[in-house]
Amino acid sequence: MVKKYTSMAYASADELLFGQSKFPVKAGLGLEIGAGYTTPEVNYAPRPHAGKSKDKLVKEYERITTDTMERMIQIGAPSVVLETEHVEQMSNNPEWGAAVAHAQKTIMEEFHDEYGIKCALRHTIGDIRQDREYLQLRGDQYSTFMEAFELCAQNGADMLSVESMGGKEIFDYAILRNDTAGILFGIGVLGSMDMEMIWKDISDIAKKTGTVSAGDTDCAQANTAMFIAGGLLDKNLAHTTAIVARAISAARSLCAYEAGAVGPGKDCGYENSIVKPIAGVPISQEGKTSTCAHSDLMGNLIMQCCDLWSNESVEYHGEFGGTTVQCWSESLAYDCSMMNVALKTGKAKDLRDVLVLSDKFRDPQGYVLAYDNAYRIGQAITKDGENNYLRAKNAAIECCNIVEEGVNSGKLRLTRFETNALAKVKADLEALTDDADQFMSDNLAKFKQEVPVFRPENYGL
Amino acid sequence: MLDLKLEDIDGILVRYNVGLEKEMTPDEAAEELYPKDELIYPVAKAIYEGEEDDVVDALKAAIDAGKKPIDLIDDALMVGMGVVTQLYDDGIIFLPNVMMSADAMLAGIEFCKTQTTEVPEPKGKVVCHVAEGDVHDIGKNIVVALLRANGYDVVDLGRDVPVDEVITAVTNEKPIMLTGTALMTTTMYAFKEVNDKLLEKGIKVPFACGGGAVNQDFVSQYELGVYGEEAADAPKIADAIIAGTVDIPALREEFHKH
Repeated sequence: MVKKYTSMAYASADELLFGQSKFPVKAGLGLEIGAGYTTPEVNYAPRPHAGKSKDKLVKEYERITTDTMERMIQIGAPSVVLETEHVEQMSNNPEWGAAVAHAQKTIMEEFHDEYGIKCALRHTIGDIRQDREYLQLRGDQYSTFMEAFELCAQNGADMLSVESMGGKEIFDYAILRNDTAGILFGIGVLGSMDMEMIWKDISDIAKKTGTVSAGDTDCAQANTAMFIAGGLLDKNLAHTTAIVARAISAARSLCAYEAGAVGPGKDCGYENSIVKPIAGVPISQEGKTSTCAHSDLMGNLIMQCCDLWSNESVEYHGEFGGTTVQCWSESLAYDCSMMNVALKTGKAKDLRDVLVLSDKFRDPQGYVLAYDNAYRIGQAITKDGENNYLRAKNAAIECCNIVEEGVNSGKLRLTRFETNALAKVKADLEALTDDADQFMSDNLAKFKQEVPVFRPENYGL
Repeated sequence: MLDLKLEDIDGILVRYNVGLEKEMTPDEAAEELYPKDELIYPVAKAIYEGEEDDVVDALKAAIDAGKKPIDLIDDALMVGMGVVTQLYDDGIIFLPNVMMSADAMLAGIEFCKTQTTEVPEPKGKVVCHVAEGDVHDIGKNIVVALLRANGYDVVDLGRDVPVDEVITAVTNEKPIMLTGTALMTTTMYAFKEVNDKLLEKGIKVPFACGGGAVNQDFVSQYELGVYGEEAADAPKIADAIIAGTVDIPALREEFHKH
């Protein structure tokens, strides 16, 4: 039985700050995350042809690692995290991932030994628990999935993460049909159940190998919503619906820490601004420096309480200023330098607020994730922290309330479409039962009928 | 915390979407586009509203009044879907409305098929797949729905589709277009293999590619590739092919935006 969060780690929203967390995490070679300074976290993807063989892939990651470490030394960055998000070959063949981890860590150790740079290696295992037709969350691939974590941990990875997929088959169906109950069921109920299972096992591996059980992100669902919602003029999903999915995702991503993870949460988890005040764990975030991977509407704001500052992912290739990992790691490092100066000079809260205000009224998504509002979502979650369904529903309703208050203040302006979508989501939520068992049985029946790829046995149901 | 005065916000950001919003509500705009025929109107309206049961009820009423089921596919269901796609293209309604309308239209087509022995004539056939090694299929699902909504017969191969399976499907189905989506850089490399194997067989079908990590530069590297930045580009590329633009450079000229 996991211990659920029923209170906030932070006494007030104003305590939230970049570079500081309630429970800092030591990792890798001399690094302590959330202990009073921020650190760049560089993320990359190999070029398409590199996945052809294990040797090619290892070579590609050696180049990536060497380039990044060299640039960090050349510009005098005191610390860096490298995050390797597995391509499928590395998780389906755990020895490939292990070979990459070993090669990367060997290079990082050389730089650490020679220059003293503080550094750590995060490996994010691919969620391979599926076949062509269905998610297979508890099937044969589960042991390969866990083996990938263990072998990477044994061979050099310092921090273990994943972007897990539980609930995605329902979410993908529901988000394209404005089905509020389906969004809640996919992320808040099924996603949470899967998270509780996998993060207990990942945390056991971390304990056994002396590594860090770092955390998850609802990339598969809340980021899908954000990505489909797109920019101001895109017409694919109301941004008010996307932020409700994000609020729900905080209740789901929290499950990792309840099952034994300690942070830092994954960069693309924009819900981390809600998770941090609840769990007190350090977090990674990405924003203006992840435009190489995707656009968002809160590029400055989301830096507000990060401990690691990331670029999400960039394909490795040459640019005018060096290879992409060199260019983007340098941008990240200068941002971190600015935040670290603010921390040292007592100006951190001012900088935080400037970052927040530059985006707070740009879009309802940024408005809700601004730390003062994110804190309120956290409170709504912990109010019924023991109940995965109710806390996710609370988060969604509080999210709607916050957006409405923003609109009433005159500062957050919505389109009529966004307003109508918000009203629909809120009405849908208010019509839902408070009985988790009833919600489960209603939605099991509904989605077994409507979503052919939904297999309840994936969730032990 | 620090705060901004209301009057200061406009100098920091502009909510262009609020400023540009159309005067007319979606329902009003749809009303202007519905066909006036009293038997067809309720079918088109039910398609717009995404109500599958209402679509079938309206079709039943039209058939009872003497309309031929096979004709209702083109004259009512496709017309209703045409209203929906026009409103989407004009930025008046959003994707979830289109998806729900597409579901309703497909339910309507299935119903019409049960009422006749005649076989409906699609605009053309398109084969869709997600690259080998890639299980992210929401983009492909949107493409499939939009193509079907526009009257195309879609052969959906699903996700993580082996290259040889794509080649076999294209060889057997002889589509006017193949689509491929991928989220990751390492999986999108399969598109090049698909391209090469199709060319080896002498098949020069336009291969529309898009998705998370896919970009125009990559797609331009293989002969059959046409880059689609948005899922909504897929039916537009298919329409251009049907209209006679089958030459890849000409399709690129029209659809490559960068």
